[in-house]
Amino acid sequence: MAEEEKKQERKKRRTATEAASSIGAMVKAAIGGTVKAKEEGKKLAYSFIVCSYDEIIRAMDVVPVWTENYAGVCGAKRDAERFLERAESQSFSRSLCTYALCGLGFDQWREELGEMPPDAPWGGQARPDFMLSSGQILCDPRNKWYQAAQQYMPDVPIYDVGLPYPLYEDDIEVADVQDYYIKYIVAELRGLVKFLEEQTGKKMDYDRLSELVDLGERTWNLIWETYELRRAVPTPMGTGDAMNTMVPMVFMMGTQEAYDFYLDLNKELKDKIARKEGVVEDEKYRLLWGGGLPSWFALTDFNYFNSKGAVFPVETTYRMIEPIYRLNMPDTNDPIERLAWRWLGYWTYWYDKAKKRPGSEPDVERLIQYIEDYQIDGVVMHEAFSCRTWHLGLIWQLNQLRKIYKPIPVLILGQDGKKGEEKRELPSLILESDIIDISTYSEVDTRNRIDAFIETLEQVRKNKADRR
Amino acid sequence: MNEQNSTVMSKVERYYKDYGIRARELKKEGKTVISYLCSLVPMEIITAAGLVPFRIRGNVNEPITKGDTNLETIACPFIRSCFDLSVKGWYDFCDGIVIPHGCDSMTRPYSTWRYTLGLPYSHFINVPHTVSGPSMEFFTEELNTFRKSLGRFAQKEIADSDLIEAIDLYNENRDKAKALYDLRKSDPPLISGTEMSKILTVGMSLPVTEANELFAEVLEELTQRKEAPVHKAPRIMVDGACIDNIDFVKLIEDSGANVVVDSLCIGTRDYLPHTDVGGDPLDALAHRYLDKINCPRTYREKAEGAYEKDLTARFGDIGSLGKEFKVDGVILYVYKYCDPFGFEVPARKAYLDSLNIPVLYLEDEYSAGIIGRLRTRIQAFLEMIE
Repeated sequence: MAEEEKKQERKKRRTATEAASSIGAMVKAAIGGTVKAKEEGKKLAYSFIVCSYDEIIRAMDVVPVWTENYAGVCGAKRDAERFLERAESQSFSRSLCTYALCGLGFDQWREELGEMPPDAPWGGQARPDFMLSSGQILCDPRNKWYQAAQQYMPDVPIYDVGLPYPLYEDDIEVADVQDYYIKYIVAELRGLVKFLEEQTGKKMDYDRLSELVDLGERTWNLIWETYELRRAVPTPMGTGDAMNTMVPMVFMMGTQEAYDFYLDLNKELKDKIARKEGVVEDEKYRLLWGGGLPSWFALTDFNYFNSKGAVFPVETTYRMIEPIYRLNMPDTNDPIERLAWRWLGYWTYWYDKAKKRPGSEPDVERLIQYIEDYQIDGVVMHEAFSCRTWHLGLIWQLNQLRKIYKPIPVLILGQDGKKGEEKRELPSLILESDIIDISTYSEVDTRNRIDAFIETLEQVRKNKADRR
Repeated sequence: MNEQNSTVMSKVERYYKDYGIRARELKKEGKTVISYLCSLVPMEIITAAGLVPFRIRGNVNEPITKGDTNLETIACPFIRSCFDLSVKGWYDFCDGIVIPHGCDSMTRPYSTWRYTLGLPYSHFINVPHTVSGPSMEFFTEELNTFRKSLGRFAQKEIADSDLIEAIDLYNENRDKAKALYDLRKSDPPLISGTEMSKILTVGMSLPVTEANELFAEVLEELTQRKEAPVHKAPRIMVDGACIDNIDFVKLIEDSGANVVVDSLCIGTRDYLPHTDVGGDPLDALAHRYLDKINCPRTYREKAEGAYEKDLTARFGDIGSLGKEFKVDGVILYVYKYCDPFGFEVPARKAYLDSLNIPVLYLEDEYSAGIIGRLRTRIQAFLEMIE
């Protein structure tokens, strides 16, 4: 198919904010920038998002190649299939993480050709000088992907950064274990600095690293404050846009560009709120995107929700920040220690809240908080078949929510001290597909399910109105 | 068959078919049973606390139903089966559950396990991904947290001497397992792969002292065997994650081969490595479970900048076993949705190719209903290597 025809087929998705609209060009420039950086002899590192090493990489002038991002771009451009098939031909099961499969298929092809695969999306993914794996509780492929890629690039070394955090337990407080967690994370990050110094031949400038960590922390706070503006009714920005505006958060942390982006977004949202300008003209249903990565090739599904008057003022996906000032970080001038505390603080942020509700759990508490803060009418999740990281536990979380948001009347005590009855039913929908494997997706089926969900929301609304 | 006439193998058969029967009896006698998943839970600590460790297994013959109402179908089918049996009450004699950071399929739904089963005790062990000085120090601390937590539950301070005693018992168990493996070196082997799978699986359901007694009885009986239970046939190694049932091994043997060794959980991966003795017991346990258990979920440093050497560092134990047991071929058996093993398939195949060992890679879904479809491919593979 000619390039012109392809362009006509995939029109640019409509976004609510100018900020979200600007992201495509930003990502394209970043990917093109890595290819150019390679030509200029700069050091490139295959990197994963949410690994707490962003500022370290930036301070060492290493250019990150965000491999998950490139796979997502291939998916969004509906051009991942040929790379997935190539990985499959190498004996990788199609049931594995398709980000990784796409990346491995691409790498194998590029290494076989000695140049970029034909018509590689946005110029292709540049060959790295080294790869930064990450051993977390979070994601097996982060520990295996680059090791598998070494089969095609045996000369490219790996540093695997261990980044654990304690899981929530009833009988153990974070304070009981945090010292040895921090000690280990700090050791791993210092090991990374040493590795980068060896690979680049230059020493870490710790004053510069401190500045970047400080900038990163200010960016976290700014993002949180900005995203909280979406509580407004009508909401000025939805999850569809947030799947764009997450780019500076997870791919550009520790840069002035990221900070400035959120300053602009903050202003744009405040202006919209002042004008009472929402994502849709007539906001009927406020939904929580309660878990799961989106289908990058089907982000227009968010527009479809919008067309029914449904908006997503909040999501758990890619909201990878909490206000720094609430993370109980100890005073330290050591930027490596600050990164370690930030990591631990983020992942255990909701633990205290869960302790206060026996039988609860941090992820569920987070959902409850968002449901209340953002005046949510329903919850939507997405189960991507190839990713266990973000998609296991979602059904159970919904089941837990149903215990609180019951379809039967519950007794409540009003602020005036009077007893009353309230039906707090909260419909939910789980969409099923994948992050980039389009063969798992049916637009007709998906939209039928959305239609049925909207009808349920409408029925719940009518029931509530009837009771009044 | 009544108990008086039974041989030790019929006892194994009974424990295998009614998996957990002994733990259930012990529970009735007032013992506390702690279930666990995966090879990365130090059973020594549970034993040292005076509790009965019990490994949860799945069942390829039981359709997954109830479990799917709380756990997504994109999880590893083996873990789904374990969860399904647990919520159906098959292991309702257990007082607690311990889950380690083995893989995403067992780690991510930790809360799902914890709340759905509602057991009096639960604990998660955070196993690091790398083998290094800092990770070993971290893991030792993490095991100490488990030791203290379990001690609180058992109302017993777990002393070093308790750990040392338990370590000795498990090392004895591993010696006996090794002796059983040695019976498979002859051609034909003195014990079939199917028999071996049953014995090793049963061993995970018993207190270690009883497992030691059972293995001793098995050894005594099998070493007196006049004839091998199987004929000479291609000698096969099965490589993969966890196999806790005989169906797959039986399928291979029914297809005309002898399974003589494995690189599996509930196999050489967890039955052969010993815990070092003489030093700090917790350090030794950390070393065994993080370094000695060679699972792909643990990243091993690249050796001297050479990829081929790296393959040897990662898979050398498989090559050694292949040589020691004179295998004619390897069947690499991986469950669908298994990221740790799935991403290693090309590298494992490449390593075996470098040793000129034929390899067949099979992906499966942990279900007896569809396992038969693999028969044709296994038969074709056996014809190729014969």
